[in-house]
Parts: sequence; structure tokens; C-alpha cells
Amino acid sequence: MSISVYYFGAISLILIGLYAVLVKKNLLKILVGLSIMETGVNLLLISIGYIAGRSAPILSEGVGPNQAVDPIPQALVLTAIVIGVATTALALTVAINLYETYKTLNIEELRRLRG
Amino acid sequence: MNQYAALLIALPLISAFFVPVIKSLSKKVVMPFLVLVTAVQTGIAAWVFNEVYSSGKPMIIMAGGFKPPVGINLYIGHFAALFVLIIAVTSFFMAVFSMKAITVEPKDKYVMLFLLLMLGATGMIATGDIFNLFVFMEITAISAYALTAYNKTGEASEAAMKYIILGGIGSSFFLVGIALIYGSLGTLNMAQIAQLAGRMNPTVAQAALAMLVFGLAVEAELFPLNAWAPDAYQAAPHPVTTMFSAFVVKAGLYALARVLYLTHAVGSWGHVLKLLIVLGTLTVVIGELSALRQTNVKRMFAYSSIAQVGFIAVGFALGTQAGVTASVFHMVNHAIVKALMFMAVGYVAFELGGVNLEDFKGLGKTMPLTAFAITVGAISIIGIPLFNIFWSKIQLILAALKAGKTGVIALILGASLVEAVYYIRLIHTMWFEEGDRDRIKENLIFGTIMLLLVALIIIIGVAPNFVWNIVQKAGADIYNAAQYIKNVPLLPGVSP
Repeated sequence: MSISVYYFGAISLILIGLYAVLVKKNLLKILVGLSIMETGVNLLLISIGYIAGRSAPILSEGVGPNQAVDPIPQALVLTAIVIGVATTALALTVAINLYETYKTLNIEELRRLRG
Repeated sequence: MNQYAALLIALPLISAFFVPVIKSLSKKVVMPFLVLVTAVQTGIAAWVFNEVYSSGKPMIIMAGGFKPPVGINLYIGHFAALFVLIIAVTSFFMAVFSMKAITVEPKDKYVMLFLLLMLGATGMIATGDIFNLFVFMEITAISAYALTAYNKTGEASEAAMKYIILGGIGSSFFLVGIALIYGSLGTLNMAQIAQLAGRMNPTVAQAALAMLVFGLAVEAELFPLNAWAPDAYQAAPHPVTTMFSAFVVKAGLYALARVLYLTHAVGSWGHVLKLLIVLGTLTVVIGELSALRQTNVKRMFAYSSIAQVGFIAVGFALGTQAGVTASVFHMVNHAIVKALMFMAVGYVAFELGGVNLEDFKGLGKTMPLTAFAITVGAISIIGIPLFNIFWSKIQLILAALKAGKTGVIALILGASLVEAVYYIRLIHTMWFEEGDRDRIKENLIFGTIMLLLVALIIIIGVAPNFVWNIVQKAGADIYNAAQYIKNVPLLPGVSP
């Protein structure tokens, strides 16, 4: 399978996520969209470091630097995943606060700040 | 000796996670602890500033002693030294202000987030690695989200939600930009990116830079992604609003300018500048026109702040050294003025309980010192001579003239006119309309801080040369990518 399949998949995920964020009215669906978008970006990063036919960059028997894929994007994605988890957790906390105050998660009914 | 500058990052980080320990000792010392840490941070920043400006050389700090590009390095050049100092001083003032202005519990969480916000902004300005920049940006953003929601009212949660959603989109864009750069150059070190930038395919580079610009536009409050800003400014605690306007925005703008000017060797650089000039112009126009019809003064200042950010972005988009320097000058001036004004408004809200235009009736009689501070800030922002922003606006206009962009001159002059309308309305309300409140005894410490900032505004306004010299070095630090590459001791023989 050629590498462009991964790029295509990653970019589709980003666009699906962006679509959900822009179009959906339910706050939770928007947050799911954000998560999907983040996943897409992570997949894109991983695909950039992928070299066909090589294994994971873990130093073990028979796997030297020349048999492994590029490890840097994997380190980046680990960081990005952690950041994504923190953002999602915080967003859900705020969503709970919002629900307790307004008793709704529909963003069209949430607009008290205007101007 | 240079390695001690790493304390700028380490001190707030360690202190932030030390807060629970302090809290378990006594709840009352948490706020004084914050003041202490920010004071120490100011001391370190002043030392770094002095060191960089007296030696004329940037401080390079290599994490773990690994030389870049293998290790991550911090780059504290002229610009970073100046802004790290501004961040530390503003944080110190706001820590003092927080002692009184923050009444909502849990204060220990507030202190932690405050320190992390300061850390994130400092890191964004000091780092020399583009992924590290992303990490610091996320630290800033996540603590900013939480601080926006800190008051726990419906409005605060709503503003935080908007901020989180836009910030999430922005950080995804930014990461895609990083992925494209890494994919084509195989490096994340900014000096090495600058070195190799010419090798990038112009189309890929254009896409990558546009993604980075959009990603940073959330923090930098540029037009399509700044809808969170007025809400967050209005709903966040007053010291936090001040910090947003004084340095969180500036960190985003700096990152934008740094990334852009380091990659100026790419073929499609001019297109990205055009994108930025359009974004900046729209930001100014929309910010000023929205400010005009606000009745909530804090929200009005927020829109005015957004408009000023637009000026800075336009200055960076001119693509000349004069433009960059003028923008940096405007950043410094705007940080001083907006720190003063948001602090004054926060103090008014604290004493009177509201910041609608009606609350400001007769403020000249009830709180003369605060009203005086707001008046000086407002006059300065309009761009009247003998106040600091006059000089940076003049420099922006001169830079635009030199770059042949007459539209920018019209933009700045027109925007100043709109600013005059809404700020003079506010000044009129404060001094010439009768209020029904008695005189309030103003707090001595806050009064001193405000007077200090007022003095700074007037000193820069009367004698701008001293600051102008500093700012010119800072501007050259951003503009001159070749010097940046030369300053970072890249490990020879390591190339992607």
C-alpha cells in the first residue's frame, strides 16, 4: 500500500473533524469533532515519519537505526496526544459547568455574551 | 553562567507544582508566594536583559548540554530578553493586584495557573525549536482556558468554551504546518529550518506557513480566529485580562513574526505576507468598528486591544526591517498602556461592581487617580503627541511609506480617528458627567503601580530615544535571520 493512502486518510479525518466543529449544534459533538481532528493530525505526523518496510523504532535485536522508521514524529505524536487529552478533559469540565448553569448543550441557546 | 537563564522557565514551573505544598502549610501564604515568585522572576529577567544588552550577544541555553539540532535550545536574543522582562514585570504587578482582586476560591489553583500562564508565554518567546514552541503555546493556551473559566459563572464557562474550540482548531492547524515543514526539511530546530528554508518546495512552504499563521492567529487574536477574545477578556478575572492583553497576545505575535522571518528564503514568502496583511487589516477594521458600539468598557478595551494587534500584524507584514522595528515598538507601548488600562478598569469593577459606561459617570470625582490613569492611557492610544503610542504609530506610518503601502497609512489614520471617537466619549463620561457616588479612598499600592505606568507612558512619549534604541536591536533580532543562524551553534555534520 502506498504512503499516499495514509495522507489521504489523515487529511480526511482532519476535514471530518473540522466539519463537525463548524456545523454541529451540540457541544459534545463539537468536542468529538475536535478530537477527530487531533487524531487526523497525529496520523499525518506519523505517516510523515513512515518508511515502507521498516519496523517500530525500538532498539532490539535485529533492529538498528537502518531498520527502523523515523522516531521523531512518534515522539511528537506522544506529546500531541498528551496535550490533546488535557484539552479534551478541560473542555468536558467546562461543558459540565455550562450544562449545570444553562441546562442545555445546544450552542444556539448558549449565547449570553454578545456584541 | 548562561545556563542560569534556564531558571526563567524552571522557576515558574517548579513553583507552580510547589503550590499544593505551600497550601497545605497555610492557605494564607499562597498569594504572597505568588508575589514572591514573580518578584524573583523579575529579578532573573532583569539580569538576563542586562546581560544580553550589555554583551550584545544572545544567550543560548542547551537543554541537557546536547548541541542543537540534536538537543532543544532556548534562544534569548535581544527581543526575547526585552519581552521576558515585560512579561515578568507585568506578572509581578498583576500578582500584587490579584492579592485583592481575586475573591473566588480556590486561590491555590489560581496561583498555579497564573504561574503556568507566565511560564508558557516566557517559553514561547525564548524557545529555539518549533515543536517546543507548540508545546509552550499549548501550555499557555490550556492555562488561559482554565483561567478564563475561573469565575465559574455561565458567561465565564461560555467564553472559555469558545476559546477552547478555536484554540483546538488553531493548534491542529499549527501541527499540520509543523508536519509539512518536518516532512520537507527533516528538522525542527528553528535555526536549521532557517538555514534550509530555500530548499523547500514553494507550494508546500506556502501551505505550511499559511497553516502556521492560522494556528498562531488564535493566540495572536487575528481576525477569523479572534471571536473568543472579547468574551474571554470580559469574563476572565481582571488580572488575567491584563495579562492576556499585555503579553499572551504578544507571545503569539512574536511567534508569528519569528517563524515568518526565519523562513523568508522560501520562494512563496511574499504570498504569506499578503495573507498576513489582509488578516491584519481586517482585524483592525473589525476591532475598531466593534469597539465603537460597546457599552461595557472592559469589552470596549478588548476590541481596542484587538485593533492594536492588527496594527502590529500589519507592521510585521510589511516585510521590511523598519516595519518589524515599528511593530516591536508598538508591542512594547501597547503592553504598557493596556496593562495600565485593564488594571484601572479591573480596579473600578472591584470597587463599583460593574464596568458599564454608566458606572464611569463622574469617575473623575469618585476615583480621580484611576480616572486619570484611564485618561492618560486613552489619550496615548489615540496617538496624541507626547504620549508613547504616538511614536510607534508614526514609525508604523513611516515604515509603510517606505515600503510603498499607502493603504496601511490610511488604515492607521482612519483607525486612530475611530479610536478618538470612543475614547473621548469615555473621557467625557468620566470627567464631565455627574455621578451619584461619593468619593472612594483609592488603594495606595494600586495607585502607585498605576502612576508608575503613567510615568512610563509619558517618559517614553517625551524622550523616546532610549526605548527606541532598545527596540531597534530587538527588531533587528527578529528581522535578521542570517544572524540568528550564526548565533546558534549547530552541531556540524548533523543534517537531515
